[in-house]
Amino acid sequence: MTGPNALHGEMPGFPFPGRPGGEHDEPLLDIIIARRALPPDAPAAMHDLARMLAAMAGPTEPGEMVGEMAVRTAFSRVASPVGISSEAQQPARRRRTRQSYRPARSPAMLVSVVVAAVAGFGSVMAAYADVLPTPIQQLAHVTVAAPAPHQSPNPLPTLEGGKRTDVSPRPECSKVSANADEGDTPSPTPGGHRCNEVSPFP
Amino acid sequence: MIGAAFPATLASAQAGDETAFACIFRDVQGPLVRYLHVISPEADDVAGDTWLQIVKGLPGFRGDEQAFRAWLFTIARHRAVDNGRSRARRPVLFDATVPFDAYVPADQLASPDAADLALEAISTQSVLALIKKLPSDHAEIIMLRVVAGLDPADVARIVGKTPGAVRVTTHRALRRLADLVERAGVLQ
Repeated sequence: MTGPNALHGEMPGFPFPGRPGGEHDEPLLDIIIARRALPPDAPAAMHDLARMLAAMAGPTEPGEMVGEMAVRTAFSRVASPVGISSEAQQPARRRRTRQSYRPARSPAMLVSVVVAAVAGFGSVMAAYADVLPTPIQQLAHVTVAAPAPHQSPNPLPTLEGGKRTDVSPRPECSKVSANADEGDTPSPTPGGHRCNEVSPFP
Repeated sequence: MIGAAFPATLASAQAGDETAFACIFRDVQGPLVRYLHVISPEADDVAGDTWLQIVKGLPGFRGDEQAFRAWLFTIARHRAVDNGRSRARRPVLFDATVPFDAYVPADQLASPDAADLALEAISTQSVLALIKKLPSDHAEIIMLRVVAGLDPADVARIVGKTPGAVRVTTHRALRRLADLVERAGVLQ
């Protein structure tokens, strides 16, 4: 390429008129790039260039701070709790509000669930063992197909004037049968449970 | 640049100190926006996207101030490219075989804008207007090398050239800018 529009690199050593220094200006350009002070005897064009670029690399101007609040708000949302601004506290409260609708999973809650499960399982086992009071055993018989309660020789307790009367003692399940030969016979109860209580009917 | 206080400022910002983060933001926002004005028609939007990504990656950043600036301007360039693709506004790449006046016609240099620039005091906007008259790769390298203060290796990684090519292009771009200033008479 020839002519005044050619670059120095394309025509090395060519004395371009009106251009500061040709290839020999590189030390001065490096000084400008490094933002150091030019020597006083540097060409005026280099001083002009240095002033221009110094202005360009100057501090941030007020008009360039557009979007600062949005960026700071985004920072507050991402940042840790240390130094959170008032703008960031509101989203944090919203997060806590959303979390409050979730079921709590504290250790106390888990313990309660376990206790309730054990109690329920134990109640069912007691019902099948036929060791519950007659009304409850009857209820278990209806609801979970537990053995039916044994017929008590005594009538169900009645309430007279709000007081229980004639409460018969609960039959003792582990009592030895009066008839030793019946010890090997299976219980007529549907659950196969053997209850060795004394038969009231000879 | 923040200088010796940068490590402590960065550490505070990474710990969640908004004031420290604002200090970093205000220090580098000016060069960032000026750089983006050169390479993107939507500098403010791209700057916002850049900072959002910086905020997300800040806790994991490790490095000094120079590395932080290189990271910031790398993200900014990527966001600008994405923005340009989304709008199908690819920047016109500089072709070394095309004469300089094909990019900056003489009548444009003598336009009322240039005359007005000559009457203005040196300001960021007036200088930015002149730099934007340079070929795009020259303007970008001047912004990264001189305005953002990145070293040739970082600039080379950002623009996809070798450090040697960055040095040569920087000198060439500064000569063209000096020539442009002289012809426009901005400082006279």
